[in-house]
Amino acid sequence: MAFGDYPAEYNPKVHGPYDPARYYGKADVPFGQVKLGELGAWFGRRNKTPSAIAGAFSRAWWRWNHKYVQPKRAGIAPFFQLTAAAMTFFYAINYGKMRHHRNYKYH
Amino acid sequence: MLSRAAILSVQRPMGAMAARAAATAAGSDRPVRPEHPGKVRLGFIPEEWFQFFYNKTGVTGPYTFGVGLITYLCSKEIYVMEHEYYSGLSLAIMAIVAVKKLGPAAAKWADGEIDRIEAEWKQGREDELKTLQESIEAEKKEQWRAEGSLLLMDAKKENVALQLEAAFRERAMNVYNEVKRRLDYQVECRHIERRLNQKHMVDWIVKNVMASITPQQEKETLNKCIADLSALAARSK
Repeated sequence: MAFGDYPAEYNPKVHGPYDPARYYGKADVPFGQVKLGELGAWFGRRNKTPSAIAGAFSRAWWRWNHKYVQPKRAGIAPFFQLTAAAMTFFYAINYGKMRHHRNYKYH
Repeated sequence: MLSRAAILSVQRPMGAMAARAAATAAGSDRPVRPEHPGKVRLGFIPEEWFQFFYNKTGVTGPYTFGVGLITYLCSKEIYVMEHEYYSGLSLAIMAIVAVKKLGPAAAKWADGEIDRIEAEWKQGREDELKTLQESIEAEKKEQWRAEGSLLLMDAKKENVALQLEAAFRERAMNVYNEVKRRLDYQVECRHIERRLNQKHMVDWIVKNVMASITPQQEKETLNKCIADLSALAARSK
């Protein structure tokens, strides 16, 4: 699988037009239904290669896009969501500098 | 099989198109553009996160959790309220006021625009369909007319056959006339020949007979004639 290719599991004859938000591999138990004891095994089954991780982020991005940005009567919510996510992200990466601005010594 | 379609199908697999058609026919998991986006509360927090709390904590649970989390982060100064915090707060207030004031108008305008654009596209598609439908009808009509021309062809063939028949009969008549004319000529020839022969023979016989009559015989005949005349005269008296 090279850059720009479809996932290896995607077969247009079976799946129809390509949906970037969809995982075409064999579905595992959804994360929300995993028992705590099986969590380790569940993570052990995950594909942790860089391309698979990038694919997971790509699918998440497209799922969010399809849900909030692409609908016909989309509102302003996705912009606020992006803003909130960016604020959190940049706060996190700048936390080392931010913490010097603390007003109280003891909490 | 060196058709253009075959070459194209190698360059661009038709499988995807066929699969698309099949998927549309079966009504399977082909993605459809939703009309409305996912629900959010407070402007941007997904409804699902609140539903996740609902079964355990009821309606106020997620709000309580959120307020508690913020209180914790601020209290422990994990979230530090430095100068940028107040700048962000004022920006947030302006954004909320703008959304509340201008939001409905902007939403109305955007909805109108998207409806207009979609109507345009739909209109174009329907016009195209209508045009194609009309061309199909026209094509069917043309085929019907072509069938009519077959009928016309039959009539023309019949016409040609009649003309051929007429020409044949005319020629047959011509042959008959010519043959009759030649035969008549032959008959005429025979008649003339016979007449000439007859005339010649009569002349020859007469000449010979006249040549054979002597003066003696002539004199006797004359005397006989006179005797007959006198006998006739005596009887008629």
